[in-house]
Amino acid sequence: MSITFSNELVELLTKKDTVKVIATTDALGTPHVVVKDSLQLNESNQLIYFELLESSQTNKNLVHSIWFNRPVAVALIGSGGESYQIKGKPVKAIVSGLLFRDYYIKIREQLGDVDLAAVWVIEPFEVIDQRFDTRSQEEAIRHPYFKHLDRLAK
Amino acid sequence: MMSIVPKPQATELSFEEVAAKYPQFPRLLLLKTDLQRRGVYYTKQALSKVDPAIHQLGGTHIFGTRDGVLTQRPEALILRDGTSVITSPTPLEQNPYIVDFRDGRLVVTDGGVELEEIEYWTKPDYYNLTTSSGIPMSHVASARPQRLYLMPSRYCHFWTDNQGCLFCDIVNNLKRQKTEINLPGRLKPEDVAETVREALKEPGRFTAICLTSGSDFHGAEDFDAEVDYYIEILKAIGENFATPKFPSQLIATAFTEKQLERIYRETGLLSYTPDIEVLNERLFEWICSGKARWVGYQEWKRRMVRAVEIFGRGRVNTCIVAGVELAKPHGFQDEAEALQAVLAEAEDLASQGVSTVYTVWVPRPGSYLRGQKNASLEYYVRLALGLQELRQKYQLSIDHDDYRRCGNHPDSDLARICQL
Repeated sequence: MSITFSNELVELLTKKDTVKVIATTDALGTPHVVVKDSLQLNESNQLIYFELLESSQTNKNLVHSIWFNRPVAVALIGSGGESYQIKGKPVKAIVSGLLFRDYYIKIREQLGDVDLAAVWVIEPFEVIDQRFDTRSQEEAIRHPYFKHLDRLAK
Repeated sequence: MMSIVPKPQATELSFEEVAAKYPQFPRLLLLKTDLQRRGVYYTKQALSKVDPAIHQLGGTHIFGTRDGVLTQRPEALILRDGTSVITSPTPLEQNPYIVDFRDGRLVVTDGGVELEEIEYWTKPDYYNLTTSSGIPMSHVASARPQRLYLMPSRYCHFWTDNQGCLFCDIVNNLKRQKTEINLPGRLKPEDVAETVREALKEPGRFTAICLTSGSDFHGAEDFDAEVDYYIEILKAIGENFATPKFPSQLIATAFTEKQLERIYRETGLLSYTPDIEVLNERLFEWICSGKARWVGYQEWKRRMVRAVEIFGRGRVNTCIVAGVELAKPHGFQDEAEALQAVLAEAEDLASQGVSTVYTVWVPRPGSYLRGQKNASLEYYVRLALGLQELRQKYQLSIDHDDYRRCGNHPDSDLARICQL
């Protein structure tokens, strides 16, 4: 993995009250954004999530992304105001085999009689702290022109 | 993915040239198609990583291999996007891709260049069991990553009168399988019921059941014997399901409406695939003389269309052995002409609710057409794109014969990104 996750970010991914969203695009570039509670880290510090529906647009978009090497984005919003965006690329779809079976059993233990279409593995390549305070401080330093003058008036 | 060292034929585009010309065709599927087109060779290092306790080995498939050897090797590969590649071990002199083990990983290589990491299929739990009658369950039902595959009768009666399909080697393969691994030529329903029961115990392993056999024209009406047997087998399978219908596919002769209504009414079968093999009447009569004699090309088509009324749209399709339409001496001599003709026929069927999928023609040593060459990679790409475009145009889903429920059709793999 080329990036390291902070402890705060790792903790965000494990908390139940974190809102986890994935954004993907289809072949025409049309965005599709949905909440995916199952987003988590695997032991290799890659993002994974459990796709329950074979027919989901996210599932199809991820296939398109892995086929054409296109990125996806994940947003994490914590109850304490934490906000991160992680950009990555899907690198593997686990649809069968012993690992898939383990995941299938696990998700059904958690959610009951659901199916599992795939477990997607997303290799992150960028993490952005999206908190307003962080972003506005960055902007103030990098782009001093990006403010209205009345805010600076005596 | 690293570039492939091109090994073009005189008039064929190389892998990279095809990839550049058709950027809309996924590179992973391009590799899958070419792996099937050229075959694979497993190095000793790659074979040393096979664990018979975990991996699924070949030898029980209805068709033989390109190298004519039944020795157990990995039956197939799986790519990182979940695509399956059923492989045919191929002699080195035929320029196959190489499956090797490098830096702790199984990889596909070409010209020494590493292309993709792969995994071997894992075998299901029931492969370790035998039926009450003493038959290894792996000989009753073969497994794909998500498909349970039964070949209840491996003998094709068209061969009795020397009218087997010219690309096919199932009877020659069966003779070898009987001798070398004691494979039963015909299954008993009770062995099928028991095997399916065990297979279903493994959570998350299977999403569909597929049946295929050789044709049997015997009976009060032609093919009644084949129909009766399938009904027996399907009922045995159905004993294991709580629902009256279950995700299933029958790849069989083109039956009459009366026969199909019986099958649909009396069993849990959901979809039907009478393989027409080649979409050209003149070539059908040459290549599939048994099918031509007992049913005929136009009647085969008619029966497929009528089957849609019984099984529903999106539940009837046919498969062609893509490339055999170019077989010598009577096949098309020009790929463009062949493609146009095949897609025209495929559109005729699609407009009436019948989808077409293809398998890559593998000229097997046990078949009449052994030693011939299959089509160019570009041909297979254009055909795959054309067939999937037809499905989208006529709104035909192919769920029952897609990447997961089958995994042997580059064209239906494309359906993964389509909403139908």
